[in-house]
Amino acid sequence: MTDNQNPISPHLQIYRWHVSSLLSITHRIAGVINLLALILMFFWLLTFSLGENYYELFLLSINSFLGKFILIGFTWSMSFHILSGIRHLVWDLGYGFEIKTANISGVLVILSSLVVTIIFWSLGRGLI
Amino acid sequence: MKATKQWIFHRISAVILAPLFAWFYFSLISFSEKNYQEATYFFENPLFKILIISLFFIGFFHAKISLNEIFEDYIHKKKIKDVANILALIFSIVFPVIILILLILKI
Repeated sequence: MTDNQNPISPHLQIYRWHVSSLLSITHRIAGVINLLALILMFFWLLTFSLGENYYELFLLSINSFLGKFILIGFTWSMSFHILSGIRHLVWDLGYGFEIKTANISGVLVILSSLVVTIIFWSLGRGLI
Repeated sequence: MKATKQWIFHRISAVILAPLFAWFYFSLISFSEKNYQEATYFFENPLFKILIISLFFIGFFHAKISLNEIFEDYIHKKKIKDVANILALIFSIVFPVIILILLILKI
C-alpha cells in the first residue's frame, strides 16, 4: 500500500500561539509523560515484589534530588492531563466551544494544575 | 466504525482512569517516605490489588489508543507507523500482564 499523502498535523512551528493550541499540545505531551509515570509505578511494584533490597534501592532513587524533581514533574503532568481531559470531555458533551469560554477554561486549567500539584504533593508528603 | 469505537473507548477509559491514576500516584508519593514493611500492608490488600490491576490494564489501553493517534499525526511512512503501532500494542499487553502475575503469584 502507498503512503498516505494527506497533510500531517499539527504544524506547531507555523501558526501563531493561542491558548487553545498551547493547551492542545501540552495535553499530548503531558499524556506521554503520564505513560512514563505509569512505568515508574510499574517499577515501584516490580522492585517491591523482588524483595527488600531492591525496594530500598527504588526508595533511594526516588528520594534523590533528581528523583524528587521527576516525581513533582509527574505530579504536574498528571494534574494537568486530568484537568485538561475534563475540559475535553465537556467539549465532547457539546459545551464550552465559544472562543471566550474556551480561553477562560484553558487559563483555568493551567492555573489550577499548578495549585493541584502543590496540594497533591504537600498532602502526599504529609506537609499539610 | 472502528474509529468511532476507539473514540468512545478512549473517553470511557479516561473517566475510569483519572481517579485510579490519581489514587495510585498519590500512594506512591506517600509511600516514598515509608519503609518496605509499611508498603507490604498496602500491596497485600485484596481490594487494592484489584484496583492496581485495573489501573494498569486500563492505563496501558488508554495509552495505546493515544499513541496510535499520535503516530497517525506525526509518522509519515506507513511501514514505520505499522511497526510503531504493533510495538504499542505489545507493550500495552506485556506491562499489565506482568503486574497481574506479580500481584497474584508473588505478593
